[in-house]
Amino acid sequence: MNSNIPFLNASIAQALDYTAPILFAALGGVMSENAGVVNIALEGMMRFAAFFGVWGSFVSGNAWVGLLWGVGIGIVLGALHAYITVKWAGDQIISGVAINVMAMGMVTYLLESIFRTTGYSPPVAYFGAPASKIHLTFLKGIPILGAFAELTILIWFALILVVVLHFVLYHTVLGLRIRAVGENPHAAETLGINVFKIKWFAVIAGSVLAAFGGLALSLGTLSSFTNSMAMGKGFIGLAAMIFGKWTPFGALGAILIFACAQVLQLFMQGTATGFAKLIPLGFYLSLPYMLTIGALIGVVGKAVGPASDGVPYKKES
Amino acid sequence: MKALEVKGIVKQFPGVLANDSINLSINKGEIYAIVGENGAGKSTLMKIIYGLYTPTSGEIFVFDKKVDIKTPHDAIGLKIGMVHQEFMLVARFTVTQNIVLGDEPSKGIVFDYKKALSEVKELSEKFVLKVDPAEKVANLPVGIQQRVEILKILRRGAEILIFDEPTAVLTPEETEDLFKTLMKLKKDGKTIIFISHKLKEVMAIADRIAVLRRGKLQGVVEKGKTSEVELARMVVGRDVVLKIPKAEAKVGGTVVSVRDLMVKSKRGIVGLKGVSFDVRAGEIVGIAGVEGNGQAELVNALIGFTRPVNGTITFDGKELRVITPFNIRKKGMAYIPKDRKMRGLVLPFRSRENIIMGQHTLYPFSKNGVLNSIEIDKFATKKLEEFDVRPRDIHTKARNLSGGNQQKLILAKEMSMEHKFLLASQPTRGLDIGAMEFVYHKLIEEKEKGVAILLISLELSEIMGLSDRILVLYNGEIVGETTPDKTTEEELGLMMLGLKRQKRVAQ
Repeated sequence: MNSNIPFLNASIAQALDYTAPILFAALGGVMSENAGVVNIALEGMMRFAAFFGVWGSFVSGNAWVGLLWGVGIGIVLGALHAYITVKWAGDQIISGVAINVMAMGMVTYLLESIFRTTGYSPPVAYFGAPASKIHLTFLKGIPILGAFAELTILIWFALILVVVLHFVLYHTVLGLRIRAVGENPHAAETLGINVFKIKWFAVIAGSVLAAFGGLALSLGTLSSFTNSMAMGKGFIGLAAMIFGKWTPFGALGAILIFACAQVLQLFMQGTATGFAKLIPLGFYLSLPYMLTIGALIGVVGKAVGPASDGVPYKKES
Repeated sequence: MKALEVKGIVKQFPGVLANDSINLSINKGEIYAIVGENGAGKSTLMKIIYGLYTPTSGEIFVFDKKVDIKTPHDAIGLKIGMVHQEFMLVARFTVTQNIVLGDEPSKGIVFDYKKALSEVKELSEKFVLKVDPAEKVANLPVGIQQRVEILKILRRGAEILIFDEPTAVLTPEETEDLFKTLMKLKKDGKTIIFISHKLKEVMAIADRIAVLRRGKLQGVVEKGKTSEVELARMVVGRDVVLKIPKAEAKVGGTVVSVRDLMVKSKRGIVGLKGVSFDVRAGEIVGIAGVEGNGQAELVNALIGFTRPVNGTITFDGKELRVITPFNIRKKGMAYIPKDRKMRGLVLPFRSRENIIMGQHTLYPFSKNGVLNSIEIDKFATKKLEEFDVRPRDIHTKARNLSGGNQQKLILAKEMSMEHKFLLASQPTRGLDIGAMEFVYHKLIEEKEKGVAILLISLELSEIMGLSDRILVLYNGEIVGETTPDKTTEEELGLMMLGLKRQKRVAQ
C-alpha cells in the first residue's frame, strides 16, 4: 500500500501539469466570452506565447523575462482581436481563425529563422527546473496532497486564478459590468457603462490568460518550444469553458475530468496487460479528445452562454 | 418652469428626414404625450434627448439650461431617464443587479450586493412599486419588468421620465397599474413624457399632447380641448373612420373543427385544457382573453409547431393526424403571426423574397429548384401595389420597413397563397391607426370571400367590432361563447378575468 503513494502522487502531479495550460486557456475564454466576445484564437495565442516565452528566456537566460515576452505578445494579439471585433464589430470567428492561421505560419517561420532549427528550439531556462519549482517538502509522502509538493509556479498561478477570476466576475463591480455587457450590451449602454472599454479590457485580459497557457507549456512542462506545441489544447480549453458553463470553477471541473483521461492514457500505455494491451495505443492517445467531444454532445444542449456572446456590438448612430 | 425644451431639432438619416425642425416645450410636473404613427419620428426624437442619437442640428434645454447630450451617461446626469420600448434588462440578473448596474454600491472594488438589496427594497417602498429584489428578471411577467425599469431610472434621480410606447407589451390590467404609477409620479413632481400611438390611452393620461407626422410637429393640444377624433385626424392627416366596417356573415360549411384540444406550453404545463370549437366559411370567430391564457398554445397546435397532448383538429372534413406547418398550409391555411419579426418575416430578406416565402417552390417562382427572378419581381411589384406597402421598392429589406408596412407585407404574402382558413393572431399588435384600418378592411374582405377566420386579439374593441361569434379564453379553457350584439365589453372583461362563466351550447 505504502509503496503506491509516490506513484499516486506522481500521477496527480502529472495531471496537474497537464491541466495548467488548458486551464489558462479556458479561463481566458471565460473572461472574454463573459463580455460577449468569442475568442477561438486561444490556441494560436498559446502557440505565439509559448514561442515568445522561450525566445525571451533564450535571449536573457531568465525564465521571468521569457514570461514577460509571452505576456507581451498576448497583449498584442488580444489588442488585435479587440481591434477587429470590438472597434470594427468584425466577425469574431473569422478574426479568431485568422490569428490561429497566423500562429501556424509565423511561429514556424520565426522558429527557423531565429534558432536555425526545425521542429524544436534549444533548451532554455524554465520554471520546471527542479530549482525553480515551488517546494513544499512537508507535504511529501502525504497521499494526494503530496502531489502539490513540487509544482511549478505556473501551475499554482493557474489554480489560484480560478478563485481570483470567480471573485472578479461574481463579486466585484467590474465583474457585474463585464457580465452585463456580455448579456445585454444595450442595457449596459443605457446605464452609462462604456461597453467598448469593458470589451477591450476583457478581450485583452483573456488573451493574456491564454498566453500564460502557452508559457505553461514551453516554460513550465518543457524547457523548449516544439513546433507541435499547443496541439489543440486551446480548443480543449474552449470546450472545457463551454462544458463548465462559462464559469471558472466549472471550467476547472471539466478540465480535471480531461486530465484524468490523460493520466489514464499515460498509465495504460505503460502498464496495460491482458485485454487492455490489445487496445491500440492510438485509442488511449485520443481518449482526452474523445471525452471532449462526448462532453460537448452531452452538455451542449443545456449549456447556455452569455446571451449576447458572439454578437458584435454596434452603437446606434 | 420648463423641464425640457427642444428647439429646431433635425435628424437626417440616409434617405429619411426623421425629425424636421421640431420645437417642444414641456413643463415641469406634467404628463406630456407625443403621438404619431409608426415612423413619425417619436422614438427618434426621444433617442436624441436620451443621447442615443446625435441630432443633425438643433438645441436642447433642460430646466432652462442649454445642454449638450452626447451619451446616455450625459442624459442620466441631467436627471433624464428613459423606459425603452424594448426593455433594457439583463434577463439573467436579479432585479437588484439590474437596478444598480452602472452605479453599484461597493466596498472598494467589491460589489456590495447586500447593501444593493436593501437599497432596492427601500426604493421600491418609497415609490410604492412592489418588486422582489432577489428575483431573477427572466422569471418576471412583463408588467413587473417594466416596474424594474422605472425603479432603475428613479434610482438615478430621474426628474424627467420618458416612456417609449410603454403599453405596447402590457395587458389591460398592467396598463391600468402603469397609469396609476404615472399619476403618482406626477404628484411627486416628476415630469413625464409619454410616447404612444394609442389615442385612447393618451386621452386618459396626458395633460398635453403633441402630434408628430412624418417627422414634423403637427401641433400641441390640451387634453380638455380636443377629442379622440380630432387627434386621429391630426395623426393620420385626414379623416379616419375608427369604426370597424360591419359586414353580414354569409356562413358556409365548417372549415376547421377543433375538439377537446389539449396542448402543453413551452414550459411543459398544460396551457390549453381541452377546447372545442368550429370555424365556418365566411365568418370571423374572435377569441378574447388576456395574454397567456392559452392563445399561444392554440396557435402553435393549429400551425403544427406543437403536437397536442390530446384532441383532434379537423380541416375541411378530414381529421389531421399529424400537423406540420407544411401540410396544414398545403390544405389551405394562412397565418398572420402576432410577432412579425420572429415568425412573420425574414428580416434581412428583401420584400421580393419575403413575399414569395412559402410559395417559392411553386411554378412560376421556381422551376427545377432555380428561382425565376423575372416572375418573382413581377409578382412582388404587383403585390406591393395591391397591399400599399411603402416604399414600393421590392428590394427594400424587411428590417427597414415600418411596423405597419411589415404587416402589410405579411398580409400580401399570406393572402396570395391559396387558403380557406385564416388564423390571425393579434393582427394589429403595435400598429398605428392607418395600418390598423387597413388590416380590418382586409379581414372583412377575406370574410366576404368566404374564408373562415379565427381572430385572436387582446383588444376588446377589435373583438367586438369584427367578430361574428366570440369565444372567451381563460386559463386554457373556453369560459364563454357569445355574439357581439348579445354582450358588452364589460361582460367580456369579467369573463376574461375568470369572474364570470357562461354555459356553452354543446358543439
